[in-house]
Amino acid sequence: MKKLKRPLTYLFLSIATIISIYPFFWMVVSMTNRSVDVTRGRQLPGLHLMENLTNLFNQVDMVTALTNSFIIAILSTFFTLLIASLAGYGFQMYRSRGKDLVFNILLLSMMIPFASIMVPLYRLFGRISQTAPFLGIDTLAAAFLPTITTAFFIFFFRQNTRMFPKDLIEAGRIDGLSEIGIFFRIFVPTMKTTYAAAAIIAFMNSWNNFLWPLVVLQSPSNQTIPLLISNLGSSYAPDYGMIMSAITIATLPTALVFFFMQKHFVAGMMGSVKG
Amino acid sequence: MKKFLLMFLLVGMIGLLVACGNGDEEATDSGDTNDTDQTESTDEGSGEAVNITAWAWDPNFNIRALNYAKDLYDGEIDLDLEVIENAQDDIVQRLNTGLSSGTTQGMPNIVLIEDYRAQSFLQAYPDAFYPITDYVVFEDFAPYKIEATSYAGDVYGLPFDTGVTGLYVRVDLLEEAGYTFDDIVDITWSEYTEIGKAVKEATGKDMLTLDPNDNGLMRIMIQSAGSWYFEEDGQTPYLAENEALAASFEALKALFDANIVRLNSDWSQFVGAFNNGDVATVPTGNWITPSVMAEESQSGDWRVAPIPRLEVEGATHASNLGGSSFYVLNQDGKEAAATFLSNTFGGNLEFYDTLITEMGAIGTYLPGLESEAYDMEVEFFGNQQIYNEFVQWTEEIPAVEYGIHTYAVDDIMIVEFQNYLNGQDLSTVLERAQTQAETQLQ
Repeated sequence: MKKLKRPLTYLFLSIATIISIYPFFWMVVSMTNRSVDVTRGRQLPGLHLMENLTNLFNQVDMVTALTNSFIIAILSTFFTLLIASLAGYGFQMYRSRGKDLVFNILLLSMMIPFASIMVPLYRLFGRISQTAPFLGIDTLAAAFLPTITTAFFIFFFRQNTRMFPKDLIEAGRIDGLSEIGIFFRIFVPTMKTTYAAAAIIAFMNSWNNFLWPLVVLQSPSNQTIPLLISNLGSSYAPDYGMIMSAITIATLPTALVFFFMQKHFVAGMMGSVKG
Repeated sequence: MKKFLLMFLLVGMIGLLVACGNGDEEATDSGDTNDTDQTESTDEGSGEAVNITAWAWDPNFNIRALNYAKDLYDGEIDLDLEVIENAQDDIVQRLNTGLSSGTTQGMPNIVLIEDYRAQSFLQAYPDAFYPITDYVVFEDFAPYKIEATSYAGDVYGLPFDTGVTGLYVRVDLLEEAGYTFDDIVDITWSEYTEIGKAVKEATGKDMLTLDPNDNGLMRIMIQSAGSWYFEEDGQTPYLAENEALAASFEALKALFDANIVRLNSDWSQFVGAFNNGDVATVPTGNWITPSVMAEESQSGDWRVAPIPRLEVEGATHASNLGGSSFYVLNQDGKEAAATFLSNTFGGNLEFYDTLITEMGAIGTYLPGLESEAYDMEVEFFGNQQIYNEFVQWTEEIPAVEYGIHTYAVDDIMIVEFQNYLNGQDLSTVLERAQTQAETQLQ
């Protein structure tokens, strides 16, 4: 019985792996096939990779879209980490009357779907455009500003801050560090796994964000990758080989970010603190 | 530890630098556009080009048409058109957000809207669009298009492509079943079903492919009989008493009962079904032509017949699926935008010739349809003059009022048709649909 258990486990794991990897396999294979072959369901690699890539780079401005997506994702990730971790740290470490009430209200805001605040938000940015056009509608800044610091990340950092030993803060105070100094010189380095996990989530969210960039970014020069892909599928006779090439390219950065930070990610999600 | 802190700060600094650099660039950019916006209205006469933007979808079709129009434009107002490509759903989302927030910031001057959706925009945001009634002679357009683009006595949309339908047929498969192409021309849906059974028996292939979540064929059927989901006001649901609708339910069920429908679940499977040679016919809009022709090995096997008709009063062989028109937004640059449309899509014969010869796109401008370019014989379709045929059918499409809730009722019909397929009584199903539509659309 025990002998059987192992092969069965492996069999189950293999099936699960195949199921989860298959869509990626299909994506990569389709990238090398003509559109007609893709709609026919061809599963074997073809010889049209270069043709698809040439079409893609000739038809759309991939480089601009990638650059825009990177700028937005990196800035958004940076500000999310900075502000959310400060807030989470503050909520956990400092005593204040009504702190929990404020925090609960903040958590409630997670319940509001983005679509319902989109119209007022657009109106707001319309107003901003009149006085500060560099932050208003159709700028990269407008695309990431509303997405930094969501309640989720504040919650995430507050939960993880619970694990942070208070003794370290006391030690810092005794050694004469300012409160900001304690945060940046003790808390941040200690919590780097937490930051890594949050960074991955924030980066992926921002990279894949569609709805808000869609409504707020209009000119082609501000297009992000998800918007570009959405456009590719818009024609009456879509070129699936080309679309798959674009999607593969769009998937690479998030995949790379994840692979490089995977170790930290798992540790960060478990909430462990390692010096 | 220190390294990590340094890296964190470094990324931040770089980020900020990039942001500032970018911000500056943006500031000057938007500054420029703002300047032109302000001077636009005064400068129109003095020879400065007016900047206008247009949103449309499909690079091979609408975008190409706009670019041809841009090249051929020779109107009085000097203008510079920027054509921006967006997916159709994205345009709908952007317009809805922008217009309902009441700001014209970031909105285009010209926008392409599908005819089924046009009325919902015109009625929801009556002041947001600019009537172009005085810019174009609308008698020159296919009447069914004018119906779709008018609101409260004014015409708002410049009719563009036709969604005129045809029955794409694989003659080689028909012949295997002992039929010729002529046998499938001008038939009824029940005759179509009979041929379908014979084809399935002889070749094992299905007659057509349908997506159960896409009600296109039902809409084709009812419009071909001059009917729609609504009464003439475009508001009151007209389902329970609608004979054409009942007939289309029966015709569709007969197809399923005869087991000649190959199901698909999305666009790629739909296209795949006929590219693979799995179905003998495709009843749909003429915009499918490029997708059919994509499978070169089937060249010569295809023909186009008029779609079968329903067996009710007023039934025709002409119908429409999809199709869209251009609208002008009521903001700075509207006169330039309307002038651009009227000078090109509104009656430029050379433009319509280019459309048909360069990309096989059929417009709805009737004088343009008389061009000899439409007589071209298409080798893929056994040298049939398919464009000529489509043009004739375009003129015969019954005009119906699409109203503002076409897609809402569509969702109800999809569910109720499934109930009908599962054996429920036809009148029960339609009455329930009527009640649902009435409650939902109030």
